[in-house]
Amino acid sequence: MSTKRLIPAVLLAVALAACGSSKSTTTTTDEPVTLTFWTWVPNIQKTVDLYHQKFPKITVKVVNAGQSADEYTKLQTSVKAGSGAPDVAQIEYFALPQFALAKQVVNLNDYGAASLESKYGKSAWAQVNVNGGVYGYPQDTGPMVMFYRQDVLASLNIQPPTTWQEFEAAAVKIHAANPKNYISTIDPGDAGGVDSMLWQAGSRPFKTVSPTEASVNLGDSGAGTWSALWSDLLSKKLVDPAPGWTNDWWQGMDSGKYAVWIAGAWAPGSISSTIPDTNGKWRAAPMPQWKAGDNVTAENGGSSDAVVTTSKNKAAAAAFAQWLNSDPAAAKSLNDNGLFPATTALLNDQSFLDSPNAFFGGQQANKIFADSSAHVATGWQYLPFQVYANSVFKDTVGQPISNGTDPAAGLKAWQQRIVDYGKQQGFQMTTN
Amino acid sequence: MRRRRSNALTAVMVLMLIYTMLPLAWLLISSTKNSSDLFSSFGLWFGHGFHLFDNVHAVVTYDGGIYLRWFVNTLLYAVVGAGGAAIIAALGGYALAKYDFRGRRLLSALVLGAITIPGTALAVPTYLLFSRVGIVNTPWAVLIPALASPFGLYLMRVYAADAIPDELLEAARIDGAGEIRTFFTVSLRLLAPGFVTVLLFALVATWNNYFLPLIVLSDPDWFPLTVGLAHWNSLASGAAGSGATTVSFYPMVITGSLLAIVPLVVAFLLLQRFWQSGLAAGSVKQ
Amino acid sequence: MTIAAPPTPARRRNNRRRRHGTYGYVFFTPFLVVFAVAIAAPLLYAVYLSFFQDRLVGGNVFVGLDNYRQALTDSLFRAGVGRVALFLAVQVPLMLALALVAALAIDSGRARWSSLFRIGFFVPYAVPSVVAVLMWGYLYGRRFGLVSTIDQWVALPDPLGRSWMLASIGNVVTWEYAGYNMLILYAALRAIPTDIYEAAQVDGAGEFRKAWSIKLPAVRPALLLATVFSIIGSFQLFNEPNVLQSLAPSVVTTSYTPNMYAYNLAFNGQQFNYSAALAVVLGAVTAVIAYAFQRSTKRTP
Repeated sequence: MSTKRLIPAVLLAVALAACGSSKSTTTTTDEPVTLTFWTWVPNIQKTVDLYHQKFPKITVKVVNAGQSADEYTKLQTSVKAGSGAPDVAQIEYFALPQFALAKQVVNLNDYGAASLESKYGKSAWAQVNVNGGVYGYPQDTGPMVMFYRQDVLASLNIQPPTTWQEFEAAAVKIHAANPKNYISTIDPGDAGGVDSMLWQAGSRPFKTVSPTEASVNLGDSGAGTWSALWSDLLSKKLVDPAPGWTNDWWQGMDSGKYAVWIAGAWAPGSISSTIPDTNGKWRAAPMPQWKAGDNVTAENGGSSDAVVTTSKNKAAAAAFAQWLNSDPAAAKSLNDNGLFPATTALLNDQSFLDSPNAFFGGQQANKIFADSSAHVATGWQYLPFQVYANSVFKDTVGQPISNGTDPAAGLKAWQQRIVDYGKQQGFQMTTN
Repeated sequence: MRRRRSNALTAVMVLMLIYTMLPLAWLLISSTKNSSDLFSSFGLWFGHGFHLFDNVHAVVTYDGGIYLRWFVNTLLYAVVGAGGAAIIAALGGYALAKYDFRGRRLLSALVLGAITIPGTALAVPTYLLFSRVGIVNTPWAVLIPALASPFGLYLMRVYAADAIPDELLEAARIDGAGEIRTFFTVSLRLLAPGFVTVLLFALVATWNNYFLPLIVLSDPDWFPLTVGLAHWNSLASGAAGSGATTVSFYPMVITGSLLAIVPLVVAFLLLQRFWQSGLAAGSVKQ
Repeated sequence: MTIAAPPTPARRRNNRRRRHGTYGYVFFTPFLVVFAVAIAAPLLYAVYLSFFQDRLVGGNVFVGLDNYRQALTDSLFRAGVGRVALFLAVQVPLMLALALVAALAIDSGRARWSSLFRIGFFVPYAVPSVVAVLMWGYLYGRRFGLVSTIDQWVALPDPLGRSWMLASIGNVVTWEYAGYNMLILYAALRAIPTDIYEAAQVDGAGEFRKAWSIKLPAVRPALLLATVFSIIGSFQLFNEPNVLQSLAPSVVTTSYTPNMYAYNLAFNGQQFNYSAALAVVLGAVTAVIAYAFQRSTKRTP
């Protein structure tokens, strides 16, 4: 009884195993080439199909090998093992230096990337430059913007805050009107969110000095400014330290329990696909400033596409990655998919800037996004092991955040953890 | 045996049943909701619409029907992995119980010791080892570890020692039957209930296998259902940053989870008879 | 018809067995092969790895027992081990008690609809832990989950808060495995021959007496087996806290359980060697405790 089903199953298994690991080793562009592309952008197949139409000899296999850290783990270990790694991989800006320094992604200057500098926004270009080399083509960016619920603020006669002081005043008003509501949340598990806030506040905590030396200082003046405000907000219970992207949090975003979300320009896509009921209720505004009249912003998220060093078709891979992130048709397709562009072409395009966005009740939101993108503060860097550093954020800074106490202590603990790890890995670590 | 019905006892059992079923009730009800309903209605009651069929459709057609692929993978791993494990354990248990060979005691102790090794402790080294050999991201990486069941071996040894009398084997030998022939004609039949027990335990273990496949597989084409659902779950919680989600994964994760549970429950309902007798025999003899 | 007068039976049986000893190898080999590849090899490789360190700067370096020295003084590791030990001490007895009560209740036949209960209690075992945590994650939600609803009438602590997280995880694990353990115990109960009951009945034993003197002793071997497996499972705790992390990222830290710590070290920190050392130490601790438990409950038959 059982052998009847067993034999076909075994045969199927053997057949599938044989088909699953084909690798192309051709190098000329005349012969058909298959590239493997690891990405977690949903629906990117549409964009890739445009490429197939243009270059029928090249097949790009899209594989979703996990998001962010999940993908990076597999990428690192497969490159180390020498097998199983893709040709092109989506790598967020914060993780790129790690791969660049480990020589796991290719320096795209060898493929003429330097000539593309003018095509990309300044902050996007800065984020793919590591130690003088270019290691990824900027795919999208996340200039920070304040998204607020128009209906919630209007019902309480609150003007969207333009400074952090106004933000705190608004927080007081909202919480006083209903103790169950808050102006916003702060996620104790989101290193990227706090990184962006530190960035805007002028902190420059992470530095990759050389391939063997790194520096971390989470107690600089910018960090101090940030933690002073948030210590206040947390201890007075003016913000809710709720983990994001959970059932609870989305319900809160839907019901208006949370009035504001300060995030990258990619956020509207998530809101409209998850809680479409709130379409039309949101507005975009520049993020609050530390000094009235300033215009300083930061990036929150964003990825590049890099060529992996174990690829057997580096030239073809580089060509594909370049096309994906600079060809106008591709850029438009990605933008339709919810990604905020990194190219100057789209950022300067008048029709793009003028288009009214139904999600924002007809507001010309792209203007605000583009403006934020143009004012991203310079000089920000990441560690050569930022993936690890971000993974222990919740163990350290996340503690006081969720406890409602001063985050400065958490920043100190985070710094210590980072220094310990760096030393263990053979880096020279400084903390000035 | 006199059986006086006790209402109190029944009431206690009903409470326990409610405890057991409550989360599943949420799952069932949530499967009828679309994304806006999920986040705007009470969890244990229905939303404004009935979207179960839409959700099922989304689950089954997303990304070219990858969910069905995951389902087939799970079947493959479970049947081949668990089936293989049960057969190998049966053969091995039979050997330990009915034959006296050199090193038998040592091997037996080693295997018993192996039961205490945390499976998760082996996962990372297994990954690295398989990575070197080049079989990561293939079904072999999941199947090979599934075939080794020290617990199955232990159960089968105990069962074989008890269920197959030496005299029967002697009689067969006197009649001139070879050892292998004897196994297939005499012993196998007697081992059947124990075999089915081991098979069923192994089946559930491989069906729910999560940690090892999570580590060794990177191409979603080879994921079992558990890893696939966790994958969609992490996409739903799109961590801050790029790849803005314009697809709502939440209803798919929930409905996909519901669909993943149904076959196993049905299988257990249908196969009740077998594992109850096997369990009875297998677990009592220690 | 056999004629010969048999020599002492025991010796004769030994001779027979040894003559066919080589076939033992034949039948055992498949298991040996699979065991070697899937268990022995990774284990040996883990031990090998644990003597090195592969650093981002400096490459692969032999470090002898350094990783073990670090493991034994690692406060995060010790905290994790302490946590699962506490978990073990509370959750395992509670869950098995629940399973035993249910098994006895169903076996006594005095509850109605016993087959419904039997299936119902077992269903959670068929639910993958990823899904189980998804469901309980909703129920535990303090802002919009079931807890928040109940909280309107009866003040409940935050199940995902620091003080109650371990208990909440324990609840999920109990929910998942109580039915499975119940079935093991129930099967043992069903195997008790009915004539023992009849004899007890004749002796005038009541229901409780029967349970105490007949059923519990009969269930003992199965109960011990279930306990050993639960002990091993507790030390390996990973799935449930790992998925609950996203709901309470600062409560469930990267080193919440030893297994999570080993996993995160390997996959977020690329510290495979230290991770291997931790796994070996954890395996040793588990084996010692499981073995000690077995020895302490051994009875002369």
